[in-house]
Formats: sequence, C-alpha cells, structure tokens
Amino acid sequence: MEHEVDGWIQQLSQCKQLTEADVKKLCDKTREILMEESNHDLSELFRIGGNSPDTNYLFMGDYVDRGYYSVETVTLLVAMKLRYRDRVTILRGNHESRQITQVYGFYDECLRKYGNANVWRFFTDLFDFLPLTALIENQIFCLHGGLSPSIDTLDHVRAIDRVQEVPHEGPMCDLLWSDPDDRCGWGISPRGAGYTFGQDISEAFNHNNGLTLVARAHQLVMEGYNWGQDRNVVTIFSAPNYCYRCGNQAAIMEIDEKLSYSFLQFDPAPRAGEPLVSRRVPDYFLVNYHLYHELHDELIVIFKQ
Amino acid sequence: MSSFRPLQKAILFKEQLEAFQASSTYASITSYVEALNNAVVGVKLTDECAASQGITALLEVLDRVEALARETPPVDNATSRFGNPAFKTFYDKVQQVAPQLHESLPTFPSEAIPEVSGYFVESWGNRTRVDYGSGMELNFLCWLLCLERLGVVHESDHVALVIRVFWRYVQVMRTLQSTYWLEPAGSHGVWGLDDYHFLPFLFGSAQLRDHKHLRPKSIHDNEVVEEFSKDYIYFACIRFINSVKTASLRWHSPMLDDISAVKTWDKVNQGMIKMYHAEVLGKLPVIQHFLFGSILPYEGPIVPIPAGHHDDGHGHSHGDASDAHAGWHDPCGIPVPSAFAAAAEEQKRGGTRLGGPGIRPVPFD
Repeated sequence: MEHEVDGWIQQLSQCKQLTEADVKKLCDKTREILMEESNHDLSELFRIGGNSPDTNYLFMGDYVDRGYYSVETVTLLVAMKLRYRDRVTILRGNHESRQITQVYGFYDECLRKYGNANVWRFFTDLFDFLPLTALIENQIFCLHGGLSPSIDTLDHVRAIDRVQEVPHEGPMCDLLWSDPDDRCGWGISPRGAGYTFGQDISEAFNHNNGLTLVARAHQLVMEGYNWGQDRNVVTIFSAPNYCYRCGNQAAIMEIDEKLSYSFLQFDPAPRAGEPLVSRRVPDYFLVNYHLYHELHDELIVIFKQ
Repeated sequence: MSSFRPLQKAILFKEQLEAFQASSTYASITSYVEALNNAVVGVKLTDECAASQGITALLEVLDRVEALARETPPVDNATSRFGNPAFKTFYDKVQQVAPQLHESLPTFPSEAIPEVSGYFVESWGNRTRVDYGSGMELNFLCWLLCLERLGVVHESDHVALVIRVFWRYVQVMRTLQSTYWLEPAGSHGVWGLDDYHFLPFLFGSAQLRDHKHLRPKSIHDNEVVEEFSKDYIYFACIRFINSVKTASLRWHSPMLDDISAVKTWDKVNQGMIKMYHAEVLGKLPVIQHFLFGSILPYEGPIVPIPAGHHDDGHGHSHGDASDAHAGWHDPCGIPVPSAFAAAAEEQKRGGTRLGGPGIRPVPFD
C-alpha cells in the first residue's frame, strides 16, 4: 500500500491526475483513517515537536474550486494524509462541501477531467469526515473560518456532530464561514453564512479557553498573512496571485517547539510551459450536449439524498 | 399593462426555479437574448447603425453612471477582501439619481420608475457583498427589455442596443470592477467563461457567425486579437482578459481555450445560448436573486422567505429560530398552488416548516 501511495504522490507532484479507480481507492482508505482518528479524538489534538524529528503539516481548508489544478491538489493532499497520517492534518474549509463545489468550479473541473461526476462524489463524500478544528499544544486554535456565537468552549466544538454536509447555519457552519471584523460583538456576515466577530469576542474566547491565538484562513490577504484583533487572530492565505489576477503573496506559518512563530511568504511558481490536459470542447458546444443535462439531473438527486 | 410595482425576489428552491423556466417571463428573456443575438450577426462595433432618440438617452445615462464612479474614488481598504466600501457610496448615488435619469428617457412613464429602476440599480453590482456577476448583468438585460416594452427603444434599435448601449455598459462595468475591486459573484474561477461577464461572449460570437476568415482558434493569435478587438466584442474580451491575467489563456481561461477548438463561430454561438440558459438562467445561485415585477412577473409557487432575506437576499436571522421564518412572501397576489398553500398553512399553525431550515439562498464563498 505504502509503495502504491508513494507512486501516486510522485505522479500528483507532477500535476498528473490519478485514474478514477485510484481516486476511489484513495478516498476509501483515507475515510477509514479519518474515522479512526475521530474515534480516538486525535484529530483535534495536533502536536508539534514531540518524538517526530520532521515537520508536521496542518492545512486549513479550501483545497478545491476556482484553480486549474484543484483535482490534483486535493488528491495530493489526501494521498499525503494517507501516507503520513501522523504528520499531516487536513481541516475542512467552507469549499469542502457538495453545495459550494457545484457553484465555484470543482464540480465543473471533475466533469471536464474525468468526463463524469464520480471523482467529485468520492471527494465530497470524504469531505464529510474531515475535522473542523485543530488545537496546537493547547495554545493555538486552528480552523478555516472563525468563531461562533453557539460556541464558548472547546468542549462545545468537540460536541459537534460534524460528519455531514456543511449545514447552512449553526456552530459547524459558523466555524467554516465566520470572519473577524473591526466592529465589536457579533455581526451579520455579508457572505450570508457565519458571522463577523469583533476583538472583544476573540479576546474572551482565547482567555476563557486558555488560548493565545486563533489561526484561520478564509480571506484573501495581500501579504499572505495578516494579524488582527490585537494579535488574538491571524489570517493565513496560501494561494498566491489568487485567480491569476489578485497579485497577492501567499504565506505559511511556521511554528517551532517553543511555539514561537514565523511566516514564510511566497509567490506563484513559474509555469513550465502549458498545462498537460488536452483541449476538450465543452458539451454545450457539441451536438450531444444532453449528456450534460443528464449529469446535472443526477447531481441534483445526489444532493437531495 | 398591469400596474407597476416595486421588484421582489421570489425564488428560493428548485421547484420554483423549474416553474420560472416554464414561465412567460423566462420566454420573454430568452427570446429577447435571441433577438439581440440575431440582430448583430455580421455586425462590427465600428459599423454605422440605426439609433433612435432612446439610444442617445441611454448612452447619456451610462455616461452619468460612469461620472458618478469617477466622483467616488475608492477609500483606503488595504486588508479587506470584500471589495472597496466606496462602492456602497457609489451605489447609493446611483439609486438617488435613478428616478431623475429615468425621467430623462423619451416616453418613459414616471409611474414605472419604482419597478424599472430596480433592474437599473442592481445592474451595477450588489451593495451588501460588493460583488458583480452574470446575475447583475442579467438585470441590465431586463432593464433594456422593460425599456423596450415601454417604448423607450424599439426593435429597430436592436443593433445599437448591443454594439452601442450594451458594449458601453461593459466598459462602465470594467471601470467599476477595477475601481472598487468588485468580487466576482459566484465565480467558478478558471472553470468559468469569465470572472464577471457572460453576454459579451454570446453577442460577440454572434457578430462573428458568418465571418469569412476569422475562426474560433484565432483567439490564440495575438496579432489577430489586437487588430480585430476594435470590431468584435469577442476579441475585445480576449484582449481584456489577457491584459488583466498572468500566465496564458490556457491556464487562466481553460473554458475559452476549449471553446477555441470548436470549428465554427456558428457552433460557438449556438453553444453560448445553450450555456446561458443552463449556467445563468438555470442556476439557483443566480436566479435566487432574480427580481420580479409587473413586466416580468413571477408565476410559480410561493414559499415563505425568511424575514432577513427580503431585501438583500443574503441577510440572515440572528435571533432565535422562530423569527427566522416569520416573513411571508407574497410577490404578486397570485393564488398559491395547493401543495405549497397546504405547507404554508401548516407552518402558520406551528407545524413542520416547508423544506425545513435548509431553504435559504446559497451563501457567497
């Protein structure tokens, strides 16, 4: 198995997609380990340092949608999780959802690259098992979006029944959708899901839970990272030049065994020529475009289940 | 014509979308798109065309909107991703002058202002989210459709409506998009046609449908793009995208790249129309924001819409669950079909909620 996963990782590192059958195998295996981890309550307890001599990686969601290589990116991350289960933690972002990926591109990308929606289904089914938060040395609370008015303590987080599609409201939704804001208190999010929260909220949350920091993603920041709310919250965004037009830098936060942090900023990798995928006329522009509609109908059925 | 009324949203879930797709409003929109599309086959942007007094007035309105943007510079907003808050000031100014701008249009009945100006104001983007996408572009199309119904412009103006008025609208939108850093609403990223627009590609492919030399693959020839972007909307759009994006078309616009493999512009144009029906008019995340009035009425089933959703479609209740569904939506006084009426009655009596708490607009990422 390890050998096979190594082969997948090598292939994906060159931005070459796996076969549909391999993606299925990968998602099935990874679901098993995610389920074990959630049984042992390990997914929320992510330790830096310890006996492991190497770097551990924590990813904070939004692996799919909009980009050219979402399929390859998420497949690689999941393969890394499967291969190095104790070193890699993959949290869920608001885009790791059936509804959102149908709007923002991942569904379209899967259809184009595999000719059907199976790979989209394998991944979105797996997303239901991703943990929502991680806690580093009981100090740094990591999650994709932000805080929730329904959550005062870490025990509230642990009590969430999280193996499901991201709901439209409630604590699980808020953790994946909320944003920090300059205004105090809770505010209505312009996104239509989650809330905005002020410095008073993050200060109280950190204080009450013995935390020093909330580390989150979810918002484009030009330098790749951005301190907010008197250093109670940090935003980290690791997609450089978002959508080929925003011109932003990306960043990684590096934390050492003493819990001191530094940021590594980076720019887009130079493109080596043109992408490897061959040109494929979209179905609307073909005579047999009804196929496309059938796929969409099938999708709606899946979504309703 | 029935009496005018302010616009309202009515669609929140799939069955309503299907009712919309079977409605006369839907037929009005799709046939208007096709009429404009067919009017510009073989027409260049640089061609002379017939234009009534209404066209001149519309172009003045567009100039006025652009001037409002120039008078409203962006404010310092280094850290937020939600677009520039000065857009809200701009939006309010447009809303304020909208009645006066409509009164300047020839033969425009002033009692239609509250209804028709709703489409006009929403054409420039969403005030709450500071974003713009094909749904707002659709509002502009609906505005033109209403103006034609009201006799401000005429069928003989169709060519001018596309190559003068609509194309000018796209230019103004680009000013707004770049000035206020409008978020692309519901963007599919590289897997969509464009970050913001759809119709320029549809009308643009119509212009080229009978072209003798230019082929869809010509978009890869920079000299051709440069030379023909003054005549053809499609090439002008390719040129614009190349100018704002890094890396090649193949990377940032694989859809346009794929479409360039289609043999003829005729096929591209037919595909664009099918795609517009499916991806814009057929998508709940877009159509949940569609505004209905007397000219473009909603004729489908009615459901209760949560109170916070009435105006911006994106608010949500922050109180207890009981007030989240307190608002009742009565778009046009149309009798409620029995299945929905029964569910609504049940809810009034404190029974199960229609569709549960899950019925609400798709949030924006």
